[in-house]
This record gives sequence, C-alpha cells and structure tokens, in this order.
Amino acid sequence: MIWLAYRNLFQNKARLVISIGGVALALLLVLSLDAIFTGVERQVTAYIEASGADIWVSQADVFNMHMAASSLPDSVARKVKHVPGVASVSPILYLTNNLVAGDERNLAYIIGLPEDAELGVPWKISAGHNLPAKGEVIMDRHVAEKSGISLGEEVEILGKKYKVAGFSEGTASLVNSIAFISMEDFEDMRGSYNTFSYLLVKVRDGESPEVVAARIQAQVEEVTAQTKNRFAMQEHKVVKDMSTDVITIMNLIGFLIGLAVMALTVYTSTLSRRREYGMLKALGARNTDLYLTVLAQAILSVMLGFLFGLVITLILSQAVPLFGSNLRLELSQISMLKVGSLSLVIAAISAMIPIRQIAGLDPAMVFRGR
Amino acid sequence: MTNSSSQSETLQITHISKRYGSGTTEVTAVRDVSLAVNAGEIVLIMGPSGSGKTTLLSMLGALLKPTDGTIQLNETTISDLTENRLPAIRLKQFGFIFQDFNLLSALTALENVAIVAELAGSKSGAARRKAASILIELGLGERLNFLPEKLSGGEKQRVAIARALVNEPTLILADEPTANLDSKIGHEIMRLLRRIAKEQGRSVVIVSHDQRIKDIADRVLWLEDGEFKETVIMAVDPVCGMSIERDKTIRGEWEGQVFYFCAQGCRDEFLNDPRKFIGAVS
Repeated sequence: MIWLAYRNLFQNKARLVISIGGVALALLLVLSLDAIFTGVERQVTAYIEASGADIWVSQADVFNMHMAASSLPDSVARKVKHVPGVASVSPILYLTNNLVAGDERNLAYIIGLPEDAELGVPWKISAGHNLPAKGEVIMDRHVAEKSGISLGEEVEILGKKYKVAGFSEGTASLVNSIAFISMEDFEDMRGSYNTFSYLLVKVRDGESPEVVAARIQAQVEEVTAQTKNRFAMQEHKVVKDMSTDVITIMNLIGFLIGLAVMALTVYTSTLSRRREYGMLKALGARNTDLYLTVLAQAILSVMLGFLFGLVITLILSQAVPLFGSNLRLELSQISMLKVGSLSLVIAAISAMIPIRQIAGLDPAMVFRGR
Repeated sequence: MTNSSSQSETLQITHISKRYGSGTTEVTAVRDVSLAVNAGEIVLIMGPSGSGKTTLLSMLGALLKPTDGTIQLNETTISDLTENRLPAIRLKQFGFIFQDFNLLSALTALENVAIVAELAGSKSGAARRKAASILIELGLGERLNFLPEKLSGGEKQRVAIARALVNEPTLILADEPTANLDSKIGHEIMRLLRRIAKEQGRSVVIVSHDQRIKDIADRVLWLEDGEFKETVIMAVDPVCGMSIERDKTIRGEWEGQVFYFCAQGCRDEFLNDPRKFIGAVS
C-alpha cells in the first residue's frame, strides 16, 4: 500500500507542489530561525571559546558576561596566580557600550587588555595589529566596513576618540561586536583603577581545568571560578533564556502553518479519492490498510517538505555571509532532530481527519453510484 | 422464490429481507428472496430502478447485512459473520465488477490488479506475476503499464475483470458491467464473462438493465418491489447459437439429452446430424 501512497502523491503535480512547498516553507521558517539562534549563540560565545583561557574567574555569583558586571580587586589576581596548577593569569576589563563610527552607533563589548596580554586577545586579524596601544582600538572588520571606517581613522567610545589600529575577524554578531582597547584607556575612561572584570587562567600542562577551577573556588574568597566550557555554557543559557519565548512562538507559527497546509492537502487528496478508498474497502481492504496509505502519503509529503526546507536552510547558511551580513546560520543536529520530529507530528495530525473520513466510508457506496 | 436444480451450489441465499428505517418510515428494499447459484452458472438479475437490485447485490457481496434470512457461500454463512471477518471473505471469495470500472487512477493496469492480490496476502513479486498473467490472458499484454486514463472503456473493464479474478474467487458479482461500453465492446465483455464462468467454473451474478446480457445468462431473474417475480431459464440453440428462453423453445432429444431450438428448421438440421453441433452447446 506504500506505493499506492507514493503514486497518489505524485499523480497530481500541482497538489504535490503546493503541499510540499507549503510544508517546506513552514519548516524553513522553523529551521532557519533555529539556525539563526544557533549562529547567534555561537557568536555570543566566540570570544570565550577563542580566548585561550582554560578557566574564567569572575566576581562571586557572576557566571557569565552578557548583561553582567564583574569586579575583582587586583589582589585576587595575585591569589589566583598562587593556586597550584595555575600557569598564568591574564586580567581583562569589560563593559557593554556603543562604539560610534562615523554616523553609526554599534553596540559593542568593550574589552580592556593589558599591554602584554596573552589571553583574551583578538584571535584573527585581517589588518593592522592585535594588541591595542594607548589611544588605539581594534574593531571588527565587518562593522568598520559597514560604517566606512579605515585603518588609522577614529572611532568614539564613551566620548573618547580612539585610532583604529587593527581589524579583527569573527568578532561581530547580529546584535553586537567586540572592540579591544588598552587596559590603561579602559581604566581612564571608567575612572577606576586596580580592579579587573575577569581573570583568564591558563592551567599547567597535565592539569585538569575542572580540578584547578575547584581549587581556585576553594582557596580564593569572593570569586566564581568556572572552566571555559562551563562559562560558555552559562553564556549560552542566558542567550537562550532571553530568546526562548521568541523561538517558541515562531516555532508554533511554523508548526501551525505546516499543519494547516498539510492537513488541507491530505484532506482534499483523500476527499478526491473517496470513491477509490470506498472501492478498496468493498474489494476487501481493511481500514488499517487504508489508514496506512493516508498516513504514508502525509509522511512522504512532510518528509519531502522537510528535506526541501533543510536544503534551502543550508543554502541560506552558505549564502548569507557572502552578502556581508553579520548574520550566521548554523544548523545543529538537535534542531534537525526537533524539526524532523515536528514534521512527523504534523503528518500524523494532518492524516487524522482523512482517516476518520475513511473509517466512516460505507463500502456499499460503490454499487450506488455515489 | 427461485432455486436452481443443480447439486453444486456455490451461493445459497434463503429468505433474505432488507428493511430500512422503522415504524411508519420503514421501507422494505428486499423481501423474502431465496436463490441458489451453481458453480459455473451465470445468473442475470434485471428489474426496474428502485426494485432492490443494488441492495440485493450489496447483500450478496457481504457489503450489507440482511435484516432476515441467511446467505451461504461454500457452506460458510457469511450473513452471520462479524464485520471484521467480512473484508477477508470479500477479498478471497468475491470478485467485483463495477459499472464505471472503479480503477485506481494513480496505478497502472498491472498495479490495479496486483494490489488486490497483495491485499489478500500475496508477496509483491508474486502478486505482479499473477496479475500480469491474467492481464495477458485477457489480451492486455501490451497495456500492463498503462494508467487507466490511457485505456479504452473495454480495456478498463477487462482490467476490472482481471482484478476480480486475481484472487480466484468463487463468485463474481457484476454491477451493470456493460453500461458504459459500446455495443461491440459490451458483447466482448459478455463473452469474456461467459468464458470465465464456463472454463473456470466460477459463478457469476450480474445486475443489469442490458437486455443483451440475456444472451450469455443461464438464468434471468426479474426483481420488482424487492421480490423475484419471474424466472427465465435460458438455453442456447446448438445450431445457430442463439440464446433463447427455454420455456419458449422447440425441444429435441438425442441420446436421452434434451436440446432447445429457436425454430423447427434448427431442430431438423440438428437431428439430421447431432454430432456436428454438440460442441456448440456450452
């Protein structure tokens, strides 16, 4: 009966295109939204991931960077440095503010780096250098291009002008970018000295970051010490918490559109073959045979729609960066699994009404010319 | 009430009635009908519209339960079976032929036949081989992979006949099988049904308005107001091959067997050299 479903599906090309196209668009909405958020999550933690640190130390009860402020006295850095297993400690300063480039105001994570910083520095430079000297800023190339800023030109942060000394890559997301200035400038700008936001810790070879983080936590007061992975996970969680409602609503919309398109096409397809199903019942087909045919037809349509949606999302994920956008689409396995499962739910629900129709068919209708 | 005298009865219906509604709105579609159909026999049921033909056919095909009476097919009382056992009976014991062919539009001729064999439990390959063999036998070897829309009316009905035969049923039920066919093709289909009945020993019950079908029927029953009013037993003149009502014929005997003739001339010609015509009687 599966090939009957297959043949029924492919017999009416217009209906096939509408049904698969509709489902593909609906699932594309869900898939691409997931891909955008996965991309944003990845971009948001890009700095943490590429910092080179094994452990991030922050003020007590501060677990991440986004929407958070951490302040550690410089004495903490000395204490951390003496914890067994610690190879090096590199402090950074951090705040969120606008980077004004020409007429453009770009939200940015402003990172203050010591002049000899080894950790937390820009990890890929396309022009200029990667460590800002006093009065200099290293900014994201995409943001600079968008704002028409070239090397050597000036941008403004918290009312102070900085000369652009380097362009970093992979440091912009859909919502913000990262700009690096010297720690001295950062302290002057903020008017506060001898405090750091975070300490980036490198452990000695052979040491476990988990064990060393636990030691720091136990031996240094008023701090939160987390491995890089744990710190990145906390950052993910914050972004996810902020976007869950939006994703849920958009997923629901995608689900409902997919369901409506599918239910309508499976329903009309079954309705148009009502007599054929009645005839099969008269010949001796069991209801379960016919239910399976309708269900197989719905599953085939939805799976084809899912595949098309997937292919389009993959094409978009490759094409969007080519147009100079900061948007990154990243398809995760979890997202594919989720949307694949969603497709099956759509298929099952959309087949329900036609199945009820078939259940109510009187096989004697074939003799009545109905 | 109409009964055949043969001993090898395939279908036996006894005092069946079908009533719809109740009280003042009760309608009796079929009233106390009995009928026995023998293996290899062709029974034609005729009657005006609303006479109960469709209801009777639906009950014979186990698509509708009688209100009273019993229907036996090969000693199984199908009127007593529960609903969930009927599909298997319909699939294996009955072959259905419909007025407007009722082929699945998305499937080829071969697939239309094979799907019924598969539903009955045949493996896909075996079902296709069986379907192909019957279709080739019915002269559709060149049309196996054609969709119904590409077939003529006669070809569609032959596919429907192949579908009816694929599970080797005991009884074939045909609802107006020639209604949508022109005269020549209608004749071909009738001859085909007769050949199937006589060569394969399958019983055939046909409901039709088409008087031409009388030519191939062994018995013609007239249904009116849900009851059989008249029975005509048909015979074939061995000389000219004409189908004739047995009661209105001229009889002739040879070696203890009775033969029926349309006219005295045919009888005389037969009796002059009976062996020359014996093969014509089937």
